[in-house]
Amino acid sequence: MDHATVVIIGGGATGIGILRDLSMRGIQAVLLEQGCIAAGASSRYHGLLHSGARYAVKDNDAARECIEENMVLRRIGSQCVEVSEGFFVLTDQDDPAFERPWVEACAKAGIKTEQIDVKEALRLEPNLSRSVKAVYRVPDSSVDGFRLIWHNALSARRYGGEMLTHHQVFAIEQEGGRVKGVHVLNTVTGQKSYISCNLLVNAAGSWSGNVAKMVGLDVAVQPDRGTLVAFNHRFTSRILNRLHKSSDGDIFVPHGSITILGTTSFHADRPDAHDVPTEDILKLLDIGEALIPDIRTYRILRAFAGTRPLYAGKSGGQGREVSRGFHIADHQEDGLEGMVSIFGGKFTTYRLMAEKLSDLVCKKLGVHAACRTAEEPLIEEPSAELLEKAKKYFPVHGVTLAANRLGAAFPIVVEKAAALSSNPLLCECEMVSRAEIEYVASDPSTTSMNDIRIRTRMGMGTCQGTFCSLRTIGALSECRIPFPTPPTESLHHFLQERWKGLRPAIWGIQAKEMELGRSVYAATLNIDGALNEQKN
Amino acid sequence: MLSKTDTDKCVACSTCVVQCPVAEVTTKFLGPRMLGPASERFRLLNDGEDSSLTYCANCKNCDISCPQGVGVSNINMLARAAYAKKHRPSFRDWILAHGELESRLAGIFPAALANFGMANPISKCILDKIGISKKADLPRFASKQLAAAFKAYKQPEQLSKKVVFFPGCFIKAYAPQTGMDFVWLLNKAGYRVELPDAFCCCGTPLYTNGFADDARKNAEKNLAEMRKWKEQGIKVLALCPSCELMFKEELPVFFPDLAHDGASYLENGEEFVLGCISRGELVIDAPGNAMKDKKIIYHAPCHLRALGSGMPGLDMLGSIPGLKVSSASAGCCGISGSYGFKKEKYDISMAIGSKLFQSIKNSNADLAATECGTCKVQIMHGTAMPCEHPVSILKHYLEKEQQ
Repeated sequence: MDHATVVIIGGGATGIGILRDLSMRGIQAVLLEQGCIAAGASSRYHGLLHSGARYAVKDNDAARECIEENMVLRRIGSQCVEVSEGFFVLTDQDDPAFERPWVEACAKAGIKTEQIDVKEALRLEPNLSRSVKAVYRVPDSSVDGFRLIWHNALSARRYGGEMLTHHQVFAIEQEGGRVKGVHVLNTVTGQKSYISCNLLVNAAGSWSGNVAKMVGLDVAVQPDRGTLVAFNHRFTSRILNRLHKSSDGDIFVPHGSITILGTTSFHADRPDAHDVPTEDILKLLDIGEALIPDIRTYRILRAFAGTRPLYAGKSGGQGREVSRGFHIADHQEDGLEGMVSIFGGKFTTYRLMAEKLSDLVCKKLGVHAACRTAEEPLIEEPSAELLEKAKKYFPVHGVTLAANRLGAAFPIVVEKAAALSSNPLLCECEMVSRAEIEYVASDPSTTSMNDIRIRTRMGMGTCQGTFCSLRTIGALSECRIPFPTPPTESLHHFLQERWKGLRPAIWGIQAKEMELGRSVYAATLNIDGALNEQKN
Repeated sequence: MLSKTDTDKCVACSTCVVQCPVAEVTTKFLGPRMLGPASERFRLLNDGEDSSLTYCANCKNCDISCPQGVGVSNINMLARAAYAKKHRPSFRDWILAHGELESRLAGIFPAALANFGMANPISKCILDKIGISKKADLPRFASKQLAAAFKAYKQPEQLSKKVVFFPGCFIKAYAPQTGMDFVWLLNKAGYRVELPDAFCCCGTPLYTNGFADDARKNAEKNLAEMRKWKEQGIKVLALCPSCELMFKEELPVFFPDLAHDGASYLENGEEFVLGCISRGELVIDAPGNAMKDKKIIYHAPCHLRALGSGMPGLDMLGSIPGLKVSSASAGCCGISGSYGFKKEKYDISMAIGSKLFQSIKNSNADLAATECGTCKVQIMHGTAMPCEHPVSILKHYLEKEQQ
């Protein structure tokens, strides 16, 4: 790869959304991502597909965008969206005066709300606090960020879009006030290369300020850290929001097998401020108790943090004051040709953001092609026959999960499973079978166990890697699918990444889980010792 | 909700998988951890249920072995009940679940005729067609069921103390002699025995076969009767470990609204007999020739071990002078109530029991002993050896000593 019409920086929802959009419009594009796919805010959030109700009062335009995009994503990404609806709940700690303006603002934004009897709400959500005052239904949903982005990526690939993960842009080449190309470091192999382009798209989210800095531009992108807590099981069937002015710890999102509680909002000094202070977790639990009184009896799996790419623009402001809308900049206005950026925004509206930016790209390149991303589904629905066939090789609870995760690759994996003498679950907690892991591991973009995790959820369940990581590395070694690093190192790296999320919330049952993991790897297998031995 | 927090307690260590007798002999069962805590995390998300769930025998070895105290089997049983609400269980399962009702119907006919009706080759073929293995030995109806035998029996007049007997459906229909032996022992210890008509099946076969509503009705009836006696301070005793387990461990999970007060109504009958012995109410240290040099091998039913309160039956047998008692310690017998009678499970059941059968055969014992009715059926089927409830053995001993 030495030339592309368009180079996109950033493998989050926006960047990959742009890659798909441009590829569908017939524009040759390559995407560069410094880590693995969705390593930033696109996966480090609660997984809520906003109805927009949360923003209705303060930012009605953003709310309208949310509800419109929410409906689009249900249609094009049904495998990634759980249509679970949401509750907005007025607790005894919330100001009742907020209720009326909120209902009116939702109506104005086109968000359907319906008040339901508190008794009925408690029947539907038995873990909800008995002291709630009012409950409204809204069309919130949950969305799997990893999966949605992967399906976008695979769709883009089918249209010729190219995606290079673990490729970091370290310099941008300019000539006569025009961007000519990018200098790229392959962080896995250490190889450097140069890619020339007609147009550079900066869609690096929280890192977009850093990218702009490479061409000498100062952009007001503020990374804003949000901490989230993942619990071991679903204790609600719906998304629970507090009916008040958006604040910390007021959203519960049930998600696949888990529930996520979020979020905090702190100004961060760097885009990868992913460390989680234990105080954040304790604070979230304190606040979460208003909705779920038993919250402390539920097991925390892990905690994680991401940074919102807030764009304050010229108006300034911090944290929750900043609009969740997005901003597109043609740097022609700053005297630089051949580069556009997209700042701010939010996951729910990623497709719209990609559409608007792609419109600008087309205009600049003189291409006349309409956006089709709102109409064409990301992947085809698997046939009933295929699902029936798959039941022979996957446990029942795992069939739909695998079909939704794999999308177009599902038939291939079913065939693969059929060809294996048996298709055991390597990850029992999230029901990921050997065939699926082998398939994903063989993908050219997979360079680590972490890449497998992001596509399959391997290692993201109850045991947080204790059992699946050893099984996976064993299976991959057996069928000779190598990683760039030796198995012991791959395993070590993966476990450390998992344990990073356990450490800040290490009490109760999860502490026992951690001890089990430590006794397997640190004691019985002496992984640190084995690693040193190999290095020396 | 209990099952949800139990899901949280699981650390995925897989000890239960290693200890599961079903998973040991067949790959058709995904294992207690997968179908229990692991699948539970997906049950709020998905509607489907793995057919493999029907292979859980509810033997409770997972619960016994779990180092974190997870009630794995209860998670499975709750899931099965939820599934059965949407998908009607088979006619075969109805038949196996409602043994008590059938025994009442059979009671209309003479036992020989009823048993011939069930055991002749033609009936066996029909049963096999609906899914009951023709290789299995179904228990035989007694010629006189417990209620009739009890009515015909005259308890000594002068007994001042009183206990209540909860017989359970097996003793009622298939092994009334065990019940009558128990009554005899209690009388001898100075207790008058009440056998209330209101007592019905504890609900274990109903619940495990997917008839939760019927199990609930039975629980309501039984608990109401038990409360009556409890208020008077009179003990209710059981001889079947599965009945005991149902009231002590399962009802509070299956129907928390019914058994919120801990369901501590039922006590272990053998433990009570041991108490009688230690209080001197029942004297057994006679010369002890009746059982001299007799060898007995004892099998501890899984549900007794799940109760976690020791092996009073083994202790009782150990207190008989001259008797040589050993424990088989060979795990599950494989029958698990009606599980081993099912056509698709018969071979699994026999494979599970093979270790126990071998251990019993190797022991050269004269007699096998166990508390559980269906364990008894399975041991006799697998070893062709006689098998008795420990209370019956104690009764025989005392009766012989008297002569």
